[in-house]
Amino acid sequence: MVLEKKDTRNIWEKIGDYFSANSIWMKWYCTGCGAIEMPPTMTSRFDMERLGMGPMATPRQADVLLITGYLSTKTLRRVIYSYEQMNSPRYIVGFGSCTINGGIYYDSYATINQLDKYLPVDLYIAGCMPRPEAIMNGFNALIEMIKKGEANGWRHYQENYEWYKKNQLESLGEVIIKDEFHE
Amino acid sequence: MNLSIILIVLIVTSLAAYVLTKVNKKAGALVTVVGSIFALVAVFLLRDFIGNEVSLLYFNFRLTTAGWYFSMVMLSAYSMTSFFNIYWMKKLIYPAAYNFLYILSMAATLGIFFAKDFITLFVFWETVVWSSAFIILMGKSRKAAYIYYVISAIGSMAALFAIMFAYGTTGTFVISDAFKGLSGYPGRALAIFITFIAAGLAKIGIFPFHVWLPSAHGNAPHTFSPVLSGGLVKMGAFIAFLSVTAFPAYEIFSDSVAFRGVPMPVYIMMVLGAISIVAGTLMAIKQEDAKKLLAYSSVANGGYILIGILMLDQVGFAGGMMHLINHAVASAAAFLAIAAVAYRTGSTKMSEMGGMIHRMPVTYLVYLIAIISMAGIPPMGGFVSKWLIFQGLADRGMIFVAATAFFGSIGSFLYVFRPLSAVFLGQTFTRDLNKKEAGILMLLPMIVLTLMSLLTGVFPNIFLRVIAEIQTSVGLLPVTLSENTIVTNNGFLDAFRVFIVFGFGFAIAFVLFVIRRKSRKVDLMDTYTSAEFIHTRELLHYSHSFYAPFERLYENAPDTMKFYHKAAVKISELGNLAESFLYGIKPAGTVLLVMGTVLAVIIAGGVL
Amino acid sequence: MSILNFVFAFCMLLLVFIFQTTLTGLNRKVTARLQKRYGARWYQQFLDIFKAMRKDSTSHGWVFDFGVMMALGGIMATVTFIPVAGFRAFPGTDNVFVISYLLAVGMLGMAMSAAGSGNPWASIGVGRALTNMLAYDIPLMIVIFTVIFAFDTASVGEIAELQQGMGILGWNALRMPLGGIVAVIALLGMLGKKPFDSFIAPAEIASGPMVEYGGKHLGFMFILHEFMTFIEVSLILNIFFGGGATIWEYLLKYAVLYTFMNIISGVMPRFKIDQAVKYFYRVPLALAVIQGIIVIFTGLGVTIWF
Repeated sequence: MVLEKKDTRNIWEKIGDYFSANSIWMKWYCTGCGAIEMPPTMTSRFDMERLGMGPMATPRQADVLLITGYLSTKTLRRVIYSYEQMNSPRYIVGFGSCTINGGIYYDSYATINQLDKYLPVDLYIAGCMPRPEAIMNGFNALIEMIKKGEANGWRHYQENYEWYKKNQLESLGEVIIKDEFHE
Repeated sequence: MNLSIILIVLIVTSLAAYVLTKVNKKAGALVTVVGSIFALVAVFLLRDFIGNEVSLLYFNFRLTTAGWYFSMVMLSAYSMTSFFNIYWMKKLIYPAAYNFLYILSMAATLGIFFAKDFITLFVFWETVVWSSAFIILMGKSRKAAYIYYVISAIGSMAALFAIMFAYGTTGTFVISDAFKGLSGYPGRALAIFITFIAAGLAKIGIFPFHVWLPSAHGNAPHTFSPVLSGGLVKMGAFIAFLSVTAFPAYEIFSDSVAFRGVPMPVYIMMVLGAISIVAGTLMAIKQEDAKKLLAYSSVANGGYILIGILMLDQVGFAGGMMHLINHAVASAAAFLAIAAVAYRTGSTKMSEMGGMIHRMPVTYLVYLIAIISMAGIPPMGGFVSKWLIFQGLADRGMIFVAATAFFGSIGSFLYVFRPLSAVFLGQTFTRDLNKKEAGILMLLPMIVLTLMSLLTGVFPNIFLRVIAEIQTSVGLLPVTLSENTIVTNNGFLDAFRVFIVFGFGFAIAFVLFVIRRKSRKVDLMDTYTSAEFIHTRELLHYSHSFYAPFERLYENAPDTMKFYHKAAVKISELGNLAESFLYGIKPAGTVLLVMGTVLAVIIAGGVL
Repeated sequence: MSILNFVFAFCMLLLVFIFQTTLTGLNRKVTARLQKRYGARWYQQFLDIFKAMRKDSTSHGWVFDFGVMMALGGIMATVTFIPVAGFRAFPGTDNVFVISYLLAVGMLGMAMSAAGSGNPWASIGVGRALTNMLAYDIPLMIVIFTVIFAFDTASVGEIAELQQGMGILGWNALRMPLGGIVAVIALLGMLGKKPFDSFIAPAEIASGPMVEYGGKHLGFMFILHEFMTFIEVSLILNIFFGGGATIWEYLLKYAVLYTFMNIISGVMPRFKIDQAVKYFYRVPLALAVIQGIIVIFTGLGVTIWF
């Protein structure tokens, strides 16, 4: 993550970031075991909609991609595809310790240990799994980051594209493709 | 320049086309183009001679405004389609006969619309029927020509019966007088009306005579289907027009039961039109072949034309007549667009094609404007004619016919959208990735027809003035027009204003669109697939069974063709019965029976 | 028709947008309270639309862009035709058929650009949307036809004015009660609210026609949805509930009608599309035809009234 303290945005970008912060749409894609904590956050008890967040069906419409838990390499391939279909500005939030350092699956051959090497993460939420209260806290922090202009993972991805691609290809190994039904 | 000269020139042109095609096919096709454009211009110039009468051999013609209007519609369909003949010469089995019959049928239709007496009408009618039947025979299926000819013959024989019966009662063949004396004979009038209008119904393709449209349009050569749909079904509309104006149906039947002001026999015909709207729409939604789909849409639109013409009032009649030209132009343009696609890809089945817009954008725009007009959406022409028909129905309060008219109108969105989405939009198939746009001589008539659709929608009063003249000539109150507005009892319509405001809205949307940053362009295959990786274009194209949930609701609907097949079986059984009776093993008994009957008749006649 | 008409039209568009978007935001709160939670802020819908317009977007070709512009252009033109409490931006264009069929331009534009994205979900969604249109439009058109016949005018503004001045008894919804019921049910179908929203089913067909929209295209779709809601509710309000003599009465009635629709849809599940068609062709169609027969053949409710 690049740490920039100077705010170099012009007035239009500041207004745009205010809108983006107060109306974040999450991609309805539950990657790992952390997804179990999303329904309570979305429904009546904890009510994510108060913050302006809501689920959206496709990556083209979504702003934030939530990586909820461990990420196997198979899923990583598809998460990268979805991330590249999203429209900028786009954010990634990593849930749980598996995205930070591998968590309880740190020694598995099938999962990745450090999400930040493959996709630019804007915010981590610690826990295994973080409860809805922690998730709401995390979303509030994300909203503050976007308002201040600090959530620039997508820019970092575009500027360091080769580095990310190299890491992704290293993790995925060799993939043989014939057609849709034989991969 | 009078009509007989035009007819003679056209007949000579058709023979010249035949001879020239034997020498060089493209030159023969060019002769058809020149001949039809000549006919279009010449008949257009005849407008100043309305009221004249000419004779050619045994045939008598009178120039009327109605005849002029109908023939202009017909000739526009013929002349615009003739440009496609040049490209199709190499695909036809008998190109010389095709060119000959093309011009001959066109000349014969002129004879129908300007006929002064019924014999002329009948002779030219039959000429059109057999010449177009032979052209349909050159298409994909022989059975289509049989069905077309049989249904046409049912109509023609019924009309012949009506004409002869009327001659026996009133003593004249002249169209404007032949039916007027029938007021005193209500029973005969009913029989004559039903048999006469049966010819019109058979030709327009109204239920139950609609079975020939899908086979004929679907299987005819691609260059002739636009003429069939845009032109020849209008002959039937002409008979329907005669049956309420020359045969003053509203006066002759003024004693019978009237439903909302419409006499019962006329109302039954309107109900048949309404049923064919519903049947045509529902069958069109099911089709997998683009031409059959457009053929069923001709059935539905024929129902609108019939309802409009039979209403015979100030507004609905004008709507029916205007729908004639709107449907002719839109249907011809749609068929031509499908023909252009078939020229490049070789098929009209919608599930075998996709994404043609990226290779043929102008054809796409032509088809889009044609379907906007067919569906009755402003600012194109189809909206004005449907608006007039709806206002006419609302005036009289005919709720059941209006319900079916609305159903047909909304249902048409479904079936016209399907070829657009299945053929032009969606994923481009791999084998079509390098196809080219249609040739310039194909694009030219399509663009002309598109501009005509736009013209009838934005400035409808140009055509409505002609229709108002027709209304005054048959004794109706003409539809009220003032500058750009059409005024009716229930409200008025300014089509130009609607168009301008639509442009204003579009301008605002356009400005709103371009002030933001330009979009990132991605390939068609880079699309949301739940993050699955896709490699085959054809598998991602949704075109087969497009409206499957809706189609399931009426899967088991009865089929009219089955009724015809069973009727044919019964008639051949009747023939077998007669055969067994009269043609036994020993002919002596039959000969005795026949001789005895003839003697009895002669003696009885001599005694009486 | 002068420049002044166009200026009025533009101001009308702006005011309608602001009013409708605020009302949608408030209704999100109403739905939330139905579900025992707090819900979004009342200006949340504005934030959503501006955020969508601000993002970058991806496009699949010129038809994708052109269809969206055509849709929004047609719908904006239709909004300027709606008479609001006696005010008309373009006099003489508020014929009910013109308004209903210009709505179809919006639908066609959206269908064109959705199918032009090349995604089969979009085509499925469009097919369902068109089938939905066929379902709700027939009973509604029959009842509107009855109203046109009874009042001898097809102009929406005139129909509204003819119902005013008699208090609540002048409303067509009370004079023709069966027709009023059909109109309200058809309005639920027109708005695309549950139970008739299978064409935007988010999880089933990945939001249907909107599957490939992002950024400004999605913003356009949201704006389109707001305007379409305004047109549809206004149509039913003017024809069946007497419009409004003053602008405040109009806005109040509008807000009550729209919130009522929202509350009904908040407690309903979703119909499959063939269930929706079968539903509309049973009870609403029967009621519409019976109402038509009553009014056209006996005049009860129009000429025979208290």
